Amino acid sequence: MKNPFHTPFAAVLTNEVLLNTKRVAPYALMVLFAANAVLWWARGPAVAMGWATNSDFYIQRNMGGFSFILGLPIFTAILMGDIVVRDFRLGVDPLIFSKPVSRASYLLGKFLGNFFVLVCCQSVFAITLFLLQWVPFSGMVVLPVRVVPYFKHFFMIVVISHLALAAIYFAAGTLSRSAKVVYGLAACYYPVYISLLLLVFMNLPKMFRVLFDPMGAGKSGPVITIDPWRESADVLNKFVVSYSLDQYVNRASNIVLSSLLLLIVYFRFRIDSQAKELLNFTTLTLSEAPGRIAYSAPFALLIDAAPARDLVTLPKVTATKGPAATLSRIIAAIGVEFRLRRAERGLMVLVPLAILLSFLSVPFSQIPTVVSYSVTSATNTANMLLLLLAGVTVFYTGEIMHRDRELKIEPVVWSTPAPNSVLLLSKWFAMTLLGLSVVCVGGLTTIVTQLLRGYTPVDISAYLIINGVVVVPGIMFITALAVGLNVLLRNKYLTYVVAVGTGAGLIYLYNLGYKHWSYNPLLYQLWKYPDLTSAPMLAYRFYCLALAAACLLLAHLLFERRS
Amino acid sequence: MLAIRDLTKTYSSGVQALRGVSLDLSPGVFGLLGPNGSGKTTLMKIVATLLEPDSGTIEMNGVDLIARKDHTRRMLGYLPQDFGLYPTLTAWQMLDYLAKLKGVTNKKERHNLIDALLDRVNLSAERSQRLGGFSGGMRQRLGIAQALIGEPQLIIVDEPTAGLDPEERVRFHNLISESAGEDTVVILSTHIVSDVSNLCSRMAIIRGGKILSACSPRQAVDELKTTVWEGTVPREQLAAFKAQFNVISSRNFDGEARVRVISKDLRPSEEFTGAIPVLEDYYFDLVNRQD
Repeated sequence: MKNPFHTPFAAVLTNEVLLNTKRVAPYALMVLFAANAVLWWARGPAVAMGWATNSDFYIQRNMGGFSFILGLPIFTAILMGDIVVRDFRLGVDPLIFSKPVSRASYLLGKFLGNFFVLVCCQSVFAITLFLLQWVPFSGMVVLPVRVVPYFKHFFMIVVISHLALAAIYFAAGTLSRSAKVVYGLAACYYPVYISLLLLVFMNLPKMFRVLFDPMGAGKSGPVITIDPWRESADVLNKFVVSYSLDQYVNRASNIVLSSLLLLIVYFRFRIDSQAKELLNFTTLTLSEAPGRIAYSAPFALLIDAAPARDLVTLPKVTATKGPAATLSRIIAAIGVEFRLRRAERGLMVLVPLAILLSFLSVPFSQIPTVVSYSVTSATNTANMLLLLLAGVTVFYTGEIMHRDRELKIEPVVWSTPAPNSVLLLSKWFAMTLLGLSVVCVGGLTTIVTQLLRGYTPVDISAYLIINGVVVVPGIMFITALAVGLNVLLRNKYLTYVVAVGTGAGLIYLYNLGYKHWSYNPLLYQLWKYPDLTSAPMLAYRFYCLALAAACLLLAHLLFERRS
Repeated sequence: MLAIRDLTKTYSSGVQALRGVSLDLSPGVFGLLGPNGSGKTTLMKIVATLLEPDSGTIEMNGVDLIARKDHTRRMLGYLPQDFGLYPTLTAWQMLDYLAKLKGVTNKKERHNLIDALLDRVNLSAERSQRLGGFSGGMRQRLGIAQALIGEPQLIIVDEPTAGLDPEERVRFHNLISESAGEDTVVILSTHIVSDVSNLCSRMAIIRGGKILSACSPRQAVDELKTTVWEGTVPREQLAAFKAQFNVISSRNFDGEARVRVISKDLRPSEEFTGAIPVLEDYYFDLVNRQD
């Protein structure tokens, strides 16, 4: 009998697990989920309401929230979306499909290998909560240590719900051979699912929800079994969660749905590469070059000068030096940066997100405001955009600073006489301009929202002053800092870790009250609208810009063209 | 004239990539022949200002190329061994960008140059096609086009034909031979012997970071005149035969080993006949002698 651990299926599955151990995403998700667990344990409603943090009810409630609310459906797409696409992108597909591996072994091995990794990541949440039973703090109610509820609810709620989602993402990615489709689906997940719940399932008989609601959210699903707000803490702490027949049917239907999707993938999957461009290649006109070099007589060979009709004479050009040439190079490099950025999918997320957040920044009701609605709205938008852009800038700058190396174009660009300042400043300018564009979009959205809600008059100067004094120098500084860090550390992942760690540490310090302007260049919690045009404030801003210039200068000095 | 003197380079890992390399290169195509890992790419990167040598000098017409990097980059056209292109840009946009970086700021001149370059490398029809869809040969041709921007006096092409099909290789050979002007030094680094024999007026063989020989392909082959023999040997006697003679190549043929031997004074046996020497013979003879 064949050893099941030596089958192609096992090989594919274990290889997927191995590949995932070498990726950053699973570890990042584990850290995030562990942090979530700590947050929910310490800051969740249990402490305030007197609920036991390890009661059956509260464990189930946490699992439901974890499964649905904090982006887990989107994270699932990160791990499950491009599994098969990756093989085609890396060109590994012919190596695999030339081996005696059946489609079923390949697809199931891929799916289950990655789903196993996903479940391992998710289980960090349950395990962290489980371990936290031993570290209660004052005022927290903790029942005697329990084991089974954590793993029972984790399996019933998180694992089975995400099995269906994983199958959907896997099917979409595998059949379309495009990770973009999967990420698009993930981006649409919340609006589509909530609309489905509110507009479709609510109007259908209960059986439809039982059978077709993959997350099982709402009262027909397994997530909410008891309404905590109508019961006392004592009742909730003693409450034993038991799943109804409907809930079991709902979970079973998830498994059946996943199996059906995998079956569809099995029947529709093709191993041939979808080379759309190949037709164009065949139309390439080949030159008559072979006639001009003879291979057969290598040493008697004299390479004839090419016939005049073939030889294209290159026109004379004048290469210029000096500031004008440098400026031209910077503009050219910025143009290329923007062309490349336009092709990325990140902007498709960034701009709508900025619009949404700006829309939400305008107060929803006529609350009393300190100066005016424009000031309140502009202040909210500025704070929110600055936070968003700080993260986006660090991430994008890392990407663009290391992109040339990843695309192997560095030696070509570095062997040109373009000075280092061109290579660095173009990236800084491009990133800063992108940030400013987002600020403009956000500001305009806020203004339009204010007008639509009738909070007039709109004070344009408030928007200009707040963004001009607070946001713009802040973006210039963050971008310069990110450029400097990337040059200094030479590794984008290290830069992300250092930037996020430093940012988190500084915000922690600021919240403790240590927020002096000398180490608070973004003026976090340090500004009020009436002070923005005062002399000290402008001095702080010059200080911020000087820091930005220093970062760029440092980057320039440390930048080396070493391949 | 490009003069390389006593160039050494040891990587931080301890690998000694170059051990006192000295070469004199005059205008024309110069072939640098050597197996993988012999130090060719390290030498190319140092000449292309992308790597700092531990010691040694490189001068071109009296200009120190190591000290004056900006000057070097103005007169340099470089096609790396393994290079990438921005997949979302078109061929035209890519050349336009690199021409601007090279300092060709005059718009009309630049556009004319790019059109001519695309024409020369036979990519005019693909000028608006995204580079992500280019085949290996098309990418290499675009690579040589970018290396020709700005009338370079020194063109470095590192393993340009590796992975190309025969037709693309021939087309590429022609492009390189067309690019070598009267004042232009073209350094062609390769491990394919026929690249050198087809293209180069002078060549050097590098192995283990040392130059084993520097001459013209013609001289190399002339050195072996009347010394190369070809014949068959029973396979079981091959080991003993190799111990006795300088066997430069052997391959199994019809149950016997067909061997090429270099023997200056002695015909190996009656079955052996004299063969016309080729550059491979010279290369393997040199390598065998080093071993």
